[in-house]
Amino acid sequence: MTGRERLMPYVFLLPALALIVIFNLFPTIATLIESLHGNSLVRGGRVFVGLGNFDRVLNDPIFWKSMQVTGLFSVLVNPIQVLLALGLALLANSRVRGISIFRSIYLLPVAVSINVTTVVWGLMLNSEGGLINGILTLVGIERQPFLIAPTHALWSIIVLATWKGVPLWTLFFLAGLQGIPQTVLEAARIDGAGRWQSFRYVTLPLLRGVLLFVLVADTVANFLLFAPVLLLTRGGPQLSTNLVMYETYRRGFVYGDLGVSSAMLSLMLLLVFAVIGVQFSLLRRRT
Amino acid sequence: MKRLLLAVSLLLLVVAPLAAQEATTITWLNCCGWPSEEVIAEFEAENPDINVEVETVGFNALFEQIQVRLGGGASDPDVLSVDVPVTAGYGLRGWLLPLDDVFSDEDRADWLPAALAAGTYNGELISAPVSTSTQLLFINSDMFEAAGIEVPGVDDRLTYEQIADIAEQLTQDTDGDGVTDQWGFSWEQTVRIYQLQPLAVGLGGQSIGDDGLTVDGVINSQAWIDGFTFYSDMFNERQVAPQDDTIGTSDLFWSGKMGMMIAGPWNINRYLREAENIEFNWTIARHPYFENGEVTTPTGSWHIGVNVNSDSPDEAKRFVQWISTGAGAEAWWRRGSGDFPAQQSVLALFQTDEEFDEGVKYFLRVAADEATVNPDPRAVSPGYLEYEQILQDAFQDIRTGVDVEESLNLAVTRIESEMAKYRG
Repeated sequence: MTGRERLMPYVFLLPALALIVIFNLFPTIATLIESLHGNSLVRGGRVFVGLGNFDRVLNDPIFWKSMQVTGLFSVLVNPIQVLLALGLALLANSRVRGISIFRSIYLLPVAVSINVTTVVWGLMLNSEGGLINGILTLVGIERQPFLIAPTHALWSIIVLATWKGVPLWTLFFLAGLQGIPQTVLEAARIDGAGRWQSFRYVTLPLLRGVLLFVLVADTVANFLLFAPVLLLTRGGPQLSTNLVMYETYRRGFVYGDLGVSSAMLSLMLLLVFAVIGVQFSLLRRRT
Repeated sequence: MKRLLLAVSLLLLVVAPLAAQEATTITWLNCCGWPSEEVIAEFEAENPDINVEVETVGFNALFEQIQVRLGGGASDPDVLSVDVPVTAGYGLRGWLLPLDDVFSDEDRADWLPAALAAGTYNGELISAPVSTSTQLLFINSDMFEAAGIEVPGVDDRLTYEQIADIAEQLTQDTDGDGVTDQWGFSWEQTVRIYQLQPLAVGLGGQSIGDDGLTVDGVINSQAWIDGFTFYSDMFNERQVAPQDDTIGTSDLFWSGKMGMMIAGPWNINRYLREAENIEFNWTIARHPYFENGEVTTPTGSWHIGVNVNSDSPDEAKRFVQWISTGAGAEAWWRRGSGDFPAQQSVLALFQTDEEFDEGVKYFLRVAADEATVNPDPRAVSPGYLEYEQILQDAFQDIRTGVDVEESLNLAVTRIESEMAKYRG
């Protein structure tokens, strides 16, 4: 292999690497640097504050409240989305007439922007004139304060995020299912495996790679969920939907405290890495 | 022929940039979709060397844009509208250019003294007063008469308790579909401290502690709890005000779907612009008060400042000088935002000019007088922005049924946490 040939793969990788550096690595480093700085309220301008912002964040009850909300949200939304996506993928993988129409319908939400989704769901969930409350009233159920009661708001965000997120993960599971050779499933059937056994001992192990990817990507996507909170609840009522991403935005862009905002973001980054690490090790161990 | 073309091209190359340099463009970041075109055209006609480009955004978005752009050291916008209580915070961060060299002693003497003081930080004028404000009770007279309720006179001042009783009579489901479609009452700025402060201050409360930072024991005091229990009741117990804000209070009132609203006099200018589309009779009354409380009215409004990093500070200052004094100020009030002017000479027109002797414009004379009745400015604090935003959340929660004390206590925790950075 000539030197030029050895170089070629790196040349092809260069555009992607450049994009990763510009859009991922650089903002991450900039955030870490910003988290060590703050506004000097005495002299004006930006000053180095060391770990001062982290100290403030870690002693801030509102940050811990938003961590609690984010934790609860993640514990609920991730299993719901992954299980629903897997279930829908199994259905969409059926070999029945007209299945492509169902697949298109399942996948429709992927094509709708999160902002549009949020606005439409906001109208549907409106406590006074919303479509869902209209239907509930018709069937004799009392109107529900979907977005304005602390008991309901987080669940409303979960439903919205699930409607938007599940189809994409369904797509990955569907691709994984279609990659499983029919001969393997056939062999299992001949060996006397029922539907559940076939799924449990053949399909699921062969989907492990896809499952790991979906689990990690879904967790990250939900940690970063922002638009529905901004557009529908602004973190309320009573901070019940105040996810860390929204609190980070509020500190940085509403209160103008970029240092604290960056410190929160850095802590969030650590948390995401930790959660992903645990997910990787759990799934690898079982392989 | 080729030589001629070449000569013309060269001439264009030389002349075009010169022509383009003739006018300097400055940007003005302002709020709320104020109709600015006519006023800007007047300014540009008087100042052909300056073009003003207006960027208008919503109320909350304005603060966010300023935080991001000025906080990041951007050179645009050159000029920005400043809600007066945030002047101190912007001054503390060094975002606004001192304007002392722009205004004469005569200009300064013409502004309301309170407005001039509110635009000054560390002895320097950094945001020039453009508007001041007050609030009135707007009344749909036809709705009152249809319900057999006597319409108050323009100088009458109802109590909040009277308003609540009347609102109950006016609130109706006119088409019988189980959903209220005629509302009794609401506040125009439903969750903003500017309009809601009299609920607490009128009962003896304070807007913020004397140090401009403390809120514990202040915004969760008994006066605040009582005032906002009334507020909560209007939405939740009596259900005479809509919890939903898909359609704003002002739009509900002007479409004939609401009997009363507490709102700013800019609505009078709105009516004058849209009179042909408004088919009901209406009137005003003075700002309400609690039976066992004192009369107090909201005040303060918009100022204007120049970005410290502006590339065209001189042009920006000229525009700021024009719109906050004399003919420019009057033009902005008449054909711009419709907010009450902060210049005493323009305010005096309401009392002396026969234009305001009768009809709807007479209401402006009443409003000008109301602006002098125990006006209570908003909190003066370097952390006003955090204070205002967190209170918005608290009021939104109270409006939708969360316990008043619980909401105010949560707001205390949040605001105290934010104010810690200003304590040093």
